[in-house]
Amino acid sequence: MMRRFFRSRGVRKLVRDRLAMVALGVISIYLALFFMMWCGFLVEKEETFERVGANTEVGFFEEPTIEQRLLYLEFYLDNLYSAADSRTPEASLAAIDLYGRLPTLTDPDAVIERIDPLWEVYDELVELYEDDAFSDDPESLPRLEELEAEAATLYTEPEGLMGRLALALGTDRQGRSIFLRALYSIKIAVQIGLVCALISVAIGTILGGAAAFFGGVVDHVIVWLYSTFSAIPYIVLLMVLAAMFLGSAFEGTLVPVYTAFCMTFWIAPCRVIRGEVMKLRELEYVQAATAVGFGRGRILLKHIIPNTTHLMFINFSLLFIGAIKAEVILSFLNLGVKNEPSWGVMIKQATQEVISGFFWQIGAATVFMFVLVLAFNVLSDALQDAFDPKHV
Amino acid sequence: MALLEVHDLVKHFPVRGGLLNRVVGRVHAVNGVSFSVERGDILGIVGESGCGKSTLGKCVIRLIEPTGGSLTYDGEELFDLRHDELMPFRRKMQIIFQDPYSSLNPRLTVKALLKEVLAFHRIVPREDLDARIMELIAQVGLRPEAADKFPHEFSGGQRQRIGIARALALEPEFIIADEPVSALDVSIQAQVLNLMMDLKRDLGLTLLFISHDLKVIEHFCDCVVVMYLGFIVEELSCDELHERALHPYTKALLGANPVNDPDDARDLTVLQGDVPSPYDLPKGCPFASRCPVVEDRCREEMPPLEEKKDGQRVACFVVE
Ligand SMILES: Nc1ncnc2c1ncn2[C@@H]1O[C@H](COP(=O)(O)OP(=O)(O)OP(=O)(O)O)[C@@H](O)[C@H]1O
Ligand SMILES: [Mg+2]
Repeated sequence: MMRRFFRSRGVRKLVRDRLAMVALGVISIYLALFFMMWCGFLVEKEETFERVGANTEVGFFEEPTIEQRLLYLEFYLDNLYSAADSRTPEASLAAIDLYGRLPTLTDPDAVIERIDPLWEVYDELVELYEDDAFSDDPESLPRLEELEAEAATLYTEPEGLMGRLALALGTDRQGRSIFLRALYSIKIAVQIGLVCALISVAIGTILGGAAAFFGGVVDHVIVWLYSTFSAIPYIVLLMVLAAMFLGSAFEGTLVPVYTAFCMTFWIAPCRVIRGEVMKLRELEYVQAATAVGFGRGRILLKHIIPNTTHLMFINFSLLFIGAIKAEVILSFLNLGVKNEPSWGVMIKQATQEVISGFFWQIGAATVFMFVLVLAFNVLSDALQDAFDPKHV
Repeated sequence: MALLEVHDLVKHFPVRGGLLNRVVGRVHAVNGVSFSVERGDILGIVGESGCGKSTLGKCVIRLIEPTGGSLTYDGEELFDLRHDELMPFRRKMQIIFQDPYSSLNPRLTVKALLKEVLAFHRIVPREDLDARIMELIAQVGLRPEAADKFPHEFSGGQRQRIGIARALALEPEFIIADEPVSALDVSIQAQVLNLMMDLKRDLGLTLLFISHDLKVIEHFCDCVVVMYLGFIVEELSCDELHERALHPYTKALLGANPVNDPDDARDLTVLQGDVPSPYDLPKGCPFASRCPVVEDRCREEMPPLEEKKDGQRVACFVVE
C-alpha cells in the first residue's frame, strides 16, 4: 500500500517539482526542530525566560552604538560586582543566569580589586559621552574596547551551542534571548498547527461526509451548523471562547486556543468534503457496493471517504498555516498563548521596542514565521497540482 | 411462474427549486412498466438515450427507490421489503453497469475488491478466498497478474470484465446488464458480449439485458421490450423480429440499424421531430410527435398496451 503510494502519479509529480521539494526540506527542518524541543532538547521553556544579557542587546549582525556599548558594560560590571560581593555567584545570579556565562570568581577579593579601576574608567567614558566629547578624544574608543575586553575576561565562556547562539539575535527588553524565544516558538506554532489542523480536518471530514452521504435531516443540521458558525465574525468567536476559559482549569494553557481554532476551522474542509462526497456517492461503484449489500457506514468509510484524501491533505496544509497565523492575531490581542513565548507574543512585545528603533525581536519572529508559512503555501499549491484528479 | 414479474413500475424524480427548495416538478423517468422474465431467459430492453432504461434496471434491484408498482422475484414481493430484509436477494440479483470508468472504486485492487465481496457474504471459506478470486479472474478472461492492479491500470474492456467478475462473485442467478458494452470500442464489444453469453450458458443465468442497439438485442435475447419516454411501446419475441415488429418506433429502430445487405429493400425511416420532455409528458401517445403514421386520435388519447398473438404486446391505435 505504502509502496504504491510512493510510486503513484501524484507523488512522482510532486517529486519533480523543485520548489515543492525545497519547501518540503524547509518544513522538515522545522518539524525536526519541533520534535527535538518536544522531547526536551535544544531549548526548554524555562530557558526562554532567563536573562542572557543586558536589555535590548543587538544581534551579532549589527554594530552597537557607543551608548549601547556603555549600557551593556554597566550591566556586566554591575553584575560582576554583586556576584563578587556576595561571594557566591550561583546565589547572586539565581535570578539572572547569563546562560552559563558565570563570573570567574576564583578569588572574590582579587576580582573586586580588579573591578574598581574598571569602574573608574567606565565613569570617565560616560562623562565624556554625556558631554558629547567622546568622538573628539581619539583615545576614548580604544579605551572603551580595552575595557570591554577586560570585562569579558572576568566571565567564563558560554556553555554549548545554544549558549553561544543565545545572543545571536540580541535580547529583548528584559534581557531574554530573542533567538531562543523565536526557536522555542517553533514548538508552540507547530503544536498549534498540527493539533488544530488534524482535529479540524477530522471533524470536517466526518461531518461533511455524513451530511452529503445521509442527506435529509443530517444534511440540513450540518449545513445549518456551519452556516451559522461562518456567519459569526471569526475573531469575535475566538475572543468569546478565549474569554469563556478565563478562570477555568485550562486558563493559561493552549486548550482555549485549540478549542477556538477547531470550532472555526472545521468549516472549510467540511464544505469541500461535503461537495466531493455528494459527487462520489452518485458514482456507480457506490451503487455497486449497495447492490452487493454493504451497509451504509461501510460504504461511507471504506468506499467514499478514502477517495477524498487529496482534499484532506490540501485542507490540512492550508489550516496548518491558518492556525499559525491566527495564533499571532490572538496572542496580539492578549487572548492567545500565555506563559510561553510564541511568535504572536513576541510581535506583541516588540511593538514597544519598535517605537524606540529596535527591530530584532519583531524581525526574528516575523522571519521565523514567514519562512514556515511560505514553505507551506508552496507545498499546498504543489499538493493541489499533484493530487487533484483533474490535473493528473 | 416467471422468475421476475414487474407490475406497473413507476419512477418519478422530484425536481427541486426555488428559494425554499420545494418540489417544483417531476421527471417521469419510468411510467407504469410491466413485464416478466422467465427463468433462464434473456429479456432485452431497448430504447434511445434517456428513455429510462437504467432507471428501470436500478429500480428492479432497488438501487433507486421506485415511486410505485410492485415486483415479485421468485414469488416474493421485493418492493415492500426494508433494506436489511433485501440481503438474501442481494446475493441472487446483481448488476453490471453502463460506465466501466465510474463503476470501479479507484482505490481497490481487483483482488481487494473481490475479496471484500466474497468475505462479506461468506461465499467461500476463508482459506479458499484466494483460489476463488483467481478462478473468477480467469473466468472473465483476465490474466492472473490483474489481481494486484488498480482499475486505472486497465482498459475499458478489461474494466468491464472486472465489473462482471464482481457481479459473478456472489454467484447470482439473475443479472441486470445495463448497456455493458455501449461505452466500449466496437472491436471490444463483441468480445465482452461473447464472454457474457458464455457465462450465461455455463452458469444458467437469467439476464435483463439493456441496450440502445436493437441489433445486439436481436442477436442475444429471447424477448425484447421497446421503451420510449418511460413507456413500453412494444414487447415481442426476438425470432423474426423484422417481420413481426408492428409499432412504428420499433420499425424505426430496426431501420436505424446499419443493414448488412445493401439490396435489402427495407424502408430506412429517419425520425423527424423532437422527443417530448420527461418533465412534461404529452397527453396522448408519447411517440406522436415523431410518428410517421400519426392520427389525430394519437395526440388526444394514450394507446393502451394490447396483447396481440404469441404474447406480442403493442401500444398503438394505428397498426393491426
Ligand atoms: N437522479 C436523477 N434525478 C433526476 N432525474 C434523473 C435522475 N436519474 C435519471 N434521471 C432522468 O431520468 C430519465 C431517464 O434516465 P436514464 O438514466 O434511466 O436513461 P437511460 O435510458 O439509461 O439513458 P442512457 O442510454 O443514456 O443510459 C432521464 O431524463 C434522466 O435525465
Ligand atoms: Mg443508462
